[in-house]
Amino acid sequence: MSSYTSSVSQPLLRSQLAQRRQRRLLWGTLRYAAIVVVLFIFLAPFLWMLLSSFKTQVDITNAQNIFNFTPTLENYQNVFQQYDFLRYLLNSFAVAALSTLFSLILGLPAAYAIARYRMQWLGVVLLTARIVPGITFLIPWFIIFSRLRLTGTLTPLILSHMLVGMPFIAWIMISFYEELPLELEEAAKIDGATPIGAFLRVALPLSMPGVITAGIVAFIFSWNNFMFSLVLADDQTRTLPIAIFNFLTYASVDWGGLMAAAVVITLPVLIITLFVQRYIIRGLTAGATKG
Amino acid sequence: MKNAPFLKAISLTLAIAFAFAALLPAAPTTAQDNPLTAGVSDKFAGTELRLIFANHPWNNTIQRLIPAFEQASGMSLRIESYFEDQLSQKLQVGLTSGTSTADAFMFRPLQEGRLFAKNGWLFDVKEFAAADADWNWNDFQEAARGTVTFEDMIFGVPIVTERQVLYYRKDLFAAKGLSAPTTLEELEAAAAALNDPANGIAGIVMRGQRAAAVTQFSSFLYSFGGDWVKDGVSALDSPEARAAYEYYGRLLREYGPQGTTNMSWPQAVAILQQGKAAMWIDADSLFLNATDPTRSSVAAEIGFAPFPAGPAGSQPYNITSWALGINELSENHEAAWEFVKWATSAPVVAELQKSGNPGPRISVWESADGLAGFPEEYAEVAKLQSTRGVGYDRPRVIGVGRARDIVGAPIVTAIEGGNLEAALKEAHDQFNAFLKEDN
Repeated sequence: MSSYTSSVSQPLLRSQLAQRRQRRLLWGTLRYAAIVVVLFIFLAPFLWMLLSSFKTQVDITNAQNIFNFTPTLENYQNVFQQYDFLRYLLNSFAVAALSTLFSLILGLPAAYAIARYRMQWLGVVLLTARIVPGITFLIPWFIIFSRLRLTGTLTPLILSHMLVGMPFIAWIMISFYEELPLELEEAAKIDGATPIGAFLRVALPLSMPGVITAGIVAFIFSWNNFMFSLVLADDQTRTLPIAIFNFLTYASVDWGGLMAAAVVITLPVLIITLFVQRYIIRGLTAGATKG
Repeated sequence: MKNAPFLKAISLTLAIAFAFAALLPAAPTTAQDNPLTAGVSDKFAGTELRLIFANHPWNNTIQRLIPAFEQASGMSLRIESYFEDQLSQKLQVGLTSGTSTADAFMFRPLQEGRLFAKNGWLFDVKEFAAADADWNWNDFQEAARGTVTFEDMIFGVPIVTERQVLYYRKDLFAAKGLSAPTTLEELEAAAAALNDPANGIAGIVMRGQRAAAVTQFSSFLYSFGGDWVKDGVSALDSPEARAAYEYYGRLLREYGPQGTTNMSWPQAVAILQQGKAAMWIDADSLFLNATDPTRSSVAAEIGFAPFPAGPAGSQPYNITSWALGINELSENHEAAWEFVKWATSAPVVAELQKSGNPGPRISVWESADGLAGFPEEYAEVAKLQSTRGVGYDRPRVIGVGRARDIVGAPIVTAIEGGNLEAALKEAHDQFNAFLKEDN
């Protein structure tokens, strides 16, 4: 009986093993193929942007010869010489960094208070500011800022970008603070910390991954914001997304310049994102596993 | 005596400074002799004018000439430039809220002119124009003057004009023994003869995108004897309009490249630039895209021909694409007019036109200078086309954007080969409803 079963089951086992190995190989291949396809789809526009930024107009529209061309730096030269992109770069950086900073200063204590003292209504009010389309605010803002004689400075831009950044930061951080163990703060309070002290010394350092995640996303929102900057910025305070339109004129489109400017706009964000990427990942998973 | 080297250094510095100062006043005398700024008054010296312009070749050229104006007038100009759609938004936000600080700005009279004028945003320059006989308002083309006149006010001064023109590949035409088509029948025959899908060459390329195609379709509509509006109601149901839509659609469906209905001019011209089309019909203001060798691989082979004649003759549009307007809210109407008057004076327009910016002045078109800025091939065609044509390339209404969407829909249907009859009927009804609301 036993010999019968073993003689049957052993070849079965062996073939099963082989089959499993084959299947694993197949899945592995498929997985990598899928990764390559997805990567290609995501990276192709970047590649095209990068290549085009080194091409002349004739080469850009030539679809038959994508990789074979004489590279030129003229487009980059135009970006920085013909137009004052350094100024726009600094404007963008100042607006994005300051609006993110102020959003954090206001948004983090707000999120903490909403989470700890159960002020859900306040959260809803904050969310409303995000739900109402931004364009609704534009004309009233424009009137207010011009009456205050603030147009032509960076202040209106920083304040308006906070409308996007602040509620976003607060909403991400509310759930973060809700998940922080209350005991830690209670311990701090027993040791004599005020509620603000407990927030600053205990809750805030513990929520750093979340703060960085929310901060970088708010920074990118501001960096790419077009609508608010278009209306509230003037010639001197233009940010990059507005300045890139310098390459579109009534009767010509300078694709090379446009692509070089796009590279210049993308690069800083890419570098910042790569730099803080590990915090983002930790931030995202921290929220996920605890929830 | 201890201070001697110090004193010596100071006196040397002062001497150099005085020497430079002595050189400076020499400059204004040459500015006064400058024919470009001959009539400019310095009444408004010290005024700062804020101007908002479009990213446009006209802007680039005028910025080169402006220092001479600043010197002669004593005014200083602050200029901001935006892409046309941004410019329009920017102006509308500032003007709606009544807080715009611009003294004068560029605008598109056919696209936004009536809206701006109706809202009272544009200062009426009628009295100024009549008062300055030397400046000569009557030297502007009649169509151009008509474009900026609305309900008896002159709401702007034309600066850039534009006509439709046929660009064709001389080499491909020569290879088939063809000459440039002069009628729409010949145009279709040439498109059929040169269409070579096997080698990736389309007979003709034109705009096919709903709203964008409207302006380039307009010449076909007029040349078939049709129009957008007749006696205040939609004329899209006329047999002439139907024939024009039919023709435009057939031309692109049979002999056009793939994906025509997604094409505005940048996509269409890219096909021409790569040598993938035998003909292109679009605005003459775009000619550099076709004839500049850094952008076009067939730059040397491009020929120009007037818009071909249809059953109602050759009726291409001949429009004022840009004008200068003075902000009603500005506190410097007179100073702004001093600038507008200068920028549209005959010598300045001649200078602008020499740099390739087709202007609105008859005297400039008739002078030798007036044609110097265009490729030799185009100069004759441009001169011919500047004297004729229809003064609008889209319905003349207030809500131009909406109107273009309505009358553009049947163009797409015609290109796709769908039910044109039904599409025209729908557009006709919608357009009538729109016209009732528009006023």
